[in-house]
Amino acid sequence: MTSAFSKAAQERIPGIIARYAEKRGALLPLLWLAQEEQGYVSEEAMKEIAGWLDLTPPQVYETVTFYTMYNRRPIGKYHIQVCRSLMCALVGTDNLLGWIHAKLGIKTGQTTPDGLFTLSQVECLGSCGTGPMMQINDDYYERLTQDKTNRVLDDVKREGKCPLATGPFMFPEPAQK
Amino acid sequence: MAEMVTILIDGKPIEVEKGTLVIEAARRIGVMIPHFCYHPKLKPDANCRMCLVEVEKMPKLQTSCSTVVAEGMVVRTNTPVVDEAHKSVLEFILANHPLDCPICDQGGRCDLQDFSHRYTPTGSQFTDTKRVYEKGFFSPLIEKEMNRCVSCLRCVRYCDEIMDVKALANAARSTMTEIVHFAGHPLDCEFCGGCVQICPVGAITSRLSMYEFRPWMMKRADTTCGYCGDGCSLILETRGEKVIEVMSSHGNGRNNGDLCAKGFFGYQYVNHEDRLTTPLVRQADGNLHPVTWDEVLPVLAERLTQIKLAHGADAIGGLISARCTNEDLYLFQKFMRLAIGSNHLDSTARYGHVNAARALRRVQGTNRWTVSYEDIVQADALLLIGTQVTAANPIVGLKVKEAVKKHGATLLTLETLVPSIETTSNITNLSALHVAVPPGRHAAAVRGLVKAAFDENLVDAALSSRAGDYVSRIRAAATALPYPEGLDEAALRAVAKAFAGARRGVILIGQDLLQAPGGHESAVNLLDFLLLLGKLTQPGWGLAPLTEENNEQGAVEMGATAEYLPGPADVGDAAARTQIAGAWKDQPPASQGMHLLEMLDAARAGTLKAMLIVGENPVRSLPLSAKAASALEKLDLLVVQELFLTETAKLADVVLPACSYAEKTGTFTNSEGFVQKVRPGLEPVGDSRPDWEILSSLSVMMGYPLEYGDAKEILKEIRAVIPGYRVLGAKPEPAQVAAKSVEQYLTRGFAEDLPARYSAGAAPKANSHRWALAVGQTLFHSGAMSTKAQGLLELQHEGKLIMNPADAQRLGIADGDRVRLTSTSGEATVPVTMLGRIPEGTLFFPESFREALAGLPSMTPDPVTGVPYCKQLRVSVDKVGTGGASSGPPPARIAGGK
Repeated sequence: MTSAFSKAAQERIPGIIARYAEKRGALLPLLWLAQEEQGYVSEEAMKEIAGWLDLTPPQVYETVTFYTMYNRRPIGKYHIQVCRSLMCALVGTDNLLGWIHAKLGIKTGQTTPDGLFTLSQVECLGSCGTGPMMQINDDYYERLTQDKTNRVLDDVKREGKCPLATGPFMFPEPAQK
Repeated sequence: MAEMVTILIDGKPIEVEKGTLVIEAARRIGVMIPHFCYHPKLKPDANCRMCLVEVEKMPKLQTSCSTVVAEGMVVRTNTPVVDEAHKSVLEFILANHPLDCPICDQGGRCDLQDFSHRYTPTGSQFTDTKRVYEKGFFSPLIEKEMNRCVSCLRCVRYCDEIMDVKALANAARSTMTEIVHFAGHPLDCEFCGGCVQICPVGAITSRLSMYEFRPWMMKRADTTCGYCGDGCSLILETRGEKVIEVMSSHGNGRNNGDLCAKGFFGYQYVNHEDRLTTPLVRQADGNLHPVTWDEVLPVLAERLTQIKLAHGADAIGGLISARCTNEDLYLFQKFMRLAIGSNHLDSTARYGHVNAARALRRVQGTNRWTVSYEDIVQADALLLIGTQVTAANPIVGLKVKEAVKKHGATLLTLETLVPSIETTSNITNLSALHVAVPPGRHAAAVRGLVKAAFDENLVDAALSSRAGDYVSRIRAAATALPYPEGLDEAALRAVAKAFAGARRGVILIGQDLLQAPGGHESAVNLLDFLLLLGKLTQPGWGLAPLTEENNEQGAVEMGATAEYLPGPADVGDAAARTQIAGAWKDQPPASQGMHLLEMLDAARAGTLKAMLIVGENPVRSLPLSAKAASALEKLDLLVVQELFLTETAKLADVVLPACSYAEKTGTFTNSEGFVQKVRPGLEPVGDSRPDWEILSSLSVMMGYPLEYGDAKEILKEIRAVIPGYRVLGAKPEPAQVAAKSVEQYLTRGFAEDLPARYSAGAAPKANSHRWALAVGQTLFHSGAMSTKAQGLLELQHEGKLIMNPADAQRLGIADGDRVRLTSTSGEATVPVTMLGRIPEGTLFFPESFREALAGLPSMTPDPVTGVPYCKQLRVSVDKVGTGGASSGPPPARIAGGK
C-alpha cells in the first residue's frame, strides 16, 4: 500500500514514538513529520498516524484542527506567514500584506497560480522588536520595507532562499566557537 | 461499607459515600443543579461551567460536577451570587444558540430550554451576529445541527468512554468548536444512538423521527428489546399505530440506558407494510387467501383433531421462535403437550443455546448464570471465547468495556477477530492477551485451555484431594492431547494462568463456540476448567453463555424443547412430572419427543403429518442442504403463526398473523436470567393476535380449553410451576451452583462422555477449499427481522463478504468487487469488502443476508444435542470475471495480544 510518508521518514517513526511514555504522545511530532513530507497533513497521513498510535482517525483529526499551524490543504512551495499580533500590527502588518499582494497578487489564504507562494496570517512569531516581519518556510525576514519585501520574494522565487534571512535567534545566545 | 461523610447542602444535612460529587449529593436531596456537560456515566469534564455553587471557605464558586464532597462541607446552590453566575453562563451559551425551538426535535425535552425558562433571560448583552456553521450531510440516521451545540462534549466523551468507538471528535476550537467525524466525512460508526440520547440540546438528533412529533404528543411504553439476549430496557414512543422512536433512560434496566444500533434504530419492522394483517388459508387454487379468524380457527381445530385421530398425537409437531414471550412459549409447550398430546416440540434455542443450557444443568444443577452483569463489571479477569460480543451482544460488550476501562480488569480473548482499530469498536483491542482462533477451532482452544490448567499447575489442591479420581482422569484425558495446531500455545497457557490468578473471573461464551461442532462438549469442558481451578462455586465466578435471540433462556426454562418440561426439568424426571401433572391436572406425554431436525426427518419419512410453527422460519434458518422446504411440503398440514409471509409461511396451509413484541404483554428472560416485562406500545397491527391467544383459542375449539384472561394469568401459572420465576423484578434470586449436582458430576457424571469431550475431534477436512468462512451476526443486523427495519437497512442493505485487506490485495480484489465462493455443497457469488479485524485466511459473512449464500453452507447435526451446525465452512474464492485459479490463504498466522 502506498504511504503518505517517504521511506526515509518512515524510518524515523519508531524513534519518534520511542521518545514518549505513551504512544499517543508522538502525535504532534508525527503530524509535523507528515507536514514536512507533503507540505500539509493529508487524510491518508492522518489515517496512517492513527494506525501507528492506536488512535482512531477522528481523534487525530481533532488534534490537527486544534492547531492552526497544521495545514489541512496543500499549500504553495513557499509558505509566507505574516505576523499579525499587536506589535507587528502597530508597525505595519497591513502594509506588509499590501506589498505582498502588490507583488504576488495573493491575499491571506490564497496561493499563487504557479503554486509557489501561499500567504497566511499568524499570531506572534516572537520578533516583537523587529516588525513588520514574515516567515517564509523556516526563515525569518524582519524590519521589512516594500523594497526589501520585493527583493526577498524575488530571491526566494528564483533561488528558494534569500540572504536577507535573519535568525535563528536563540536565547541565551550559543557560545561562540 | 464505604466511608461516609456528612455535608450541608442549602442547609440540609446529607450523608453520602466518600468520593461522591457535590452535584450527585445535591440530587439525592432533590436539589437539581443545572448542568450540561455533567452526566453520571461520564468522567467529570467541568467544561460548561453551568453547575457553579458556593462552597463555604472556598474563595470562588466551584463546579459542583467536579467537586468531591468533604466532611463538614457547606454548599449553597441558591444564593444570589450563584444565581447570577448561572444566568451569566446561560447568557454566554445563548449568545450563539439559535432561536429555532419551533423546528427543533429536542423541543420539550431540552435542558437548555428548561434552564432558559428557569432563569427567564429576557435579553442579552451580546450584539454580535451568532456563529453559523455550514450545514452538511452527517449520516443517514443521525442528524447534526451544530448551531444548537453547547459544546458540552458529552457525545464525544460517551463515544470514547462508554462505547470505545471514538468516532466523534471536537474539531477546531473556541466558539467554532464543532462535533465532526473524521475530516468532515459522513459519520461511520456503531450507530448506537448514544450521542443522540446524551445530547442535552437538539444538536444531535435521530433522522428516523425527524420533525415527527413533540415528546408530549407520544405515548410511552417501558418494555424490553426483542433483538438479542442482553435484555435491554427501552421505551417505545408511539403515536397512533406507529412506533415513532425508541429511547432508553439512564439508570434503568440491565443496560443502564445504553442501547445498540438494533435497539435504537431497528424498530421499524414493527410497522413494516408487509406485516400480515389477516389469517390466510390455502384454497383450492393453491394460493393463500385472506379469511377471518372466525372462519379459520374452527376449521383448523378440526383438521388438527382429525390428524390426531387418524395418525395419533405423535404425528403432530411444533416449533416456536425464542423471540416469543415466556407466556407464548409456555402456552405453546402446554398446548403441544396437552391439547395435542405430543412431545415433538422445539424452539430456536436448538440452534445453539441448548448446548450451553444442557452443560450448565449437568454440572451446576441450574441452567442459569451464577453471575450477573454486575459480576462482569466487577471481575478482574474476563475470558471471552467465541463471543463476537460487540456484534452479537453489544450491551454485554459494554459491560466488558466498563470492566476493562474503568476497573482495570484483565481481558483475555479467544476470538476469531484480531485487534484492529476501525469505525466500530473491537473488543480484542482491549485484550491483555489474545489468542486468534480460526472459525470452528474454538472447541479445540477450550481443550487446550484445560490442558494448560494442568501444565501450568493451576489445579486446586482441595479439589485434587476431594475428587482425586475426577482430577486424574481429566488430567489423563486433557494432557494426552497436543496443544491445538495453529494456536499459540504460549498465549493459551498464559491465558489460563492469568485467569486462574484473578480474584473474580467470568467466562463469557458465544455463538462461535456454541454454534460450532463440539459446542456442547466445550461448554462442559469450560465447567471442568472452572472446577479444576476451584472457582466454580466461588462467588463472582461463573460461566456465562450469551444468547443470540432475546428469549432463548426463557425458551429452555418454559420447556419449549423436546427434552425439557417447564423448569427446565428432564421430560423423564419422575418428580418433575408429578409436580407438573399436579399443576396441569393432566399428565404430559411420556414419549421422548423429537427435536427440530428429527421432526424434519419424520416429515420427510411421512410419519409426521402436521406441524405448528410459531414465529420461526426453518426454511431460511437451515441451509438448503437440510432440505427443510421439501420436508415441510410433505406435511398434510402446516400452520405458521408469523409477522411476515416468510419462506416457511409461503409453504403453509394456514398462516395466522401474530403480534410483534411491540404489541404484546408478557416477559422475556435475558441471558443472565433476569425476567423482564414486555409492555405493548401499540394495538395489534391489523387483525393480528398475540401468539398465546391464538393457541388458547385453538385449544378451546379442540375441546381442551387452555383458557387465560390475559398474559398475566399465564405468568401467574409460570411462577407457580418454575422455581426461577418466583421472585421477579429488579433483584431476582441469584442462581446458585447446586452442591449436589457438582458432587454427582465429580463422582460419576463427568465420566460418561469423557473420551468424546477430550478427543482432538475430526481434523479439518483436507480439501481444496482452503478459506475458513464464518457466518455470523453483525452489529446492524440480527436474523431476518432486522432486514425489515428501514433504519438498519440504511446502515447495511446487503450482505458483503468481509476479508482481510492484505488477502484482498493479494487477490487483486477491490471493495465492491464480486467473488465466487465454492464449497463442497454449492457455490455463491457475493460482493466483497475489507476489514483489518478479520484475520488473513478467514472470511466472514453476515448471517442476516444468508440467502445470498444459497447452497453454499452444509449442515452437521450435533449427535447429542441435535444442534444443526452450519455457520463455519471451508470455501474457495475466485474473483468473478478473471477466471483465474483459486488461491489459498497464507498459513495460519498467530497474533498475540498487545
